Amino acid sequence: MNEVHDSIPQMIQRTVTVVPEEGLHARPASAFVEAANEYEADLQVGPHEEDPVDARSMLGVTSLGAKGGDELVIYADGEDAEAALDALEDVLSTPEDEFDDE
Amino acid sequence: MDEATIDQVITEDLIVLEEPPANKEDAIEYMLDIAVEAGRVTDREAALEAVLERERQSTTGVGKGIGIPHAKTDAMTEPTVVFTRSTEGIDFDSMDDRPAKLLFLLLVPAEGGEEHLGILSSLSRALMHDEVRENLLTADSSATVKSIIVDALT
Repeated sequence: MNEVHDSIPQMIQRTVTVVPEEGLHARPASAFVEAANEYEADLQVGPHEEDPVDARSMLGVTSLGAKGGDELVIYADGEDAEAALDALEDVLSTPEDEFDDE
Repeated sequence: MDEATIDQVITEDLIVLEEPPANKEDAIEYMLDIAVEAGRVTDREAALEAVLERERQSTTGVGKGIGIPHAKTDAMTEPTVVFTRSTEGIDFDSMDDRPAKLLFLLLVPAEGGEEHLGILSSLSRALMHDEVRENLLTADSSATVKSIIVDALT
C-alpha cells in the first residue's frame, strides 16, 4: 500500500519573495526559466490567488510583471518537485548584481 | 491598460507590415527608425544603445515566435511601441529556439517608473493567447493590427 502511495507525485507549493530590485525581468527572468527547464516536474508560478503561468515559458514569466519585493507562489508537481522548488527559490532570492554574465 | 493610453502608445504609423531586415540588430534599428520617423525619439543613438545594452543582459526573444526588445531611456518623450513582423522569422536566440516573427519594440521615457514593466507584462499576457498571435500574423493592414492589439490589451 505504501509503495503505491509513495509513487504518486503530489503538487507542492512555496511562496517566495522576489529579491532582485528590478523584479523578475532580464537576467533574473532568464535564469528562472532556464532553471525551470532543468526539471521534469510540472512547474507553474504566479501571484497569490491568481492563475499561474508555465514557469518554463519566458513569455509567461514576463507576463507576470513581478517587481522586487512582490511575493510569488511556485507550484511543482512531479518526482523532482522539491528540488525544482529549491532551485527556483534560489533564483528569486538572488540579488540582481549577483547574476553572472554568461 | 485603458484604451486612450494604448491609442497613444501604438499609433498606426508605428505599425509597419513591410519585411524587416533578417538579422536581429538590423531589425531593431529598422524598428527604431520607425519610431524616429514618427517623431518619438529625441536621440536615436542613445535609444539604440539602451536597447542593445538590455539585449546584452539577456535576449528579449521570449519564445512562441515573439521578440520584444525594450528599454527605458531619456531619449524618449512618451511611451512607444513599434510593431513589425517577419515572414521567415528572425533568430532572436530565444530559449525555445523558435525564430521571432512578431516583433515589438518598446521604448519608455527614463522617468516612466513602473510603466515600463506594466506595458511589457500586459503585452506578454496578451501574446500568450494563440488566437492573438495568429491574428497578428495574418492581419492585412496596420489598422487591423492596431485593433487586435487594442482589443487584446483592454
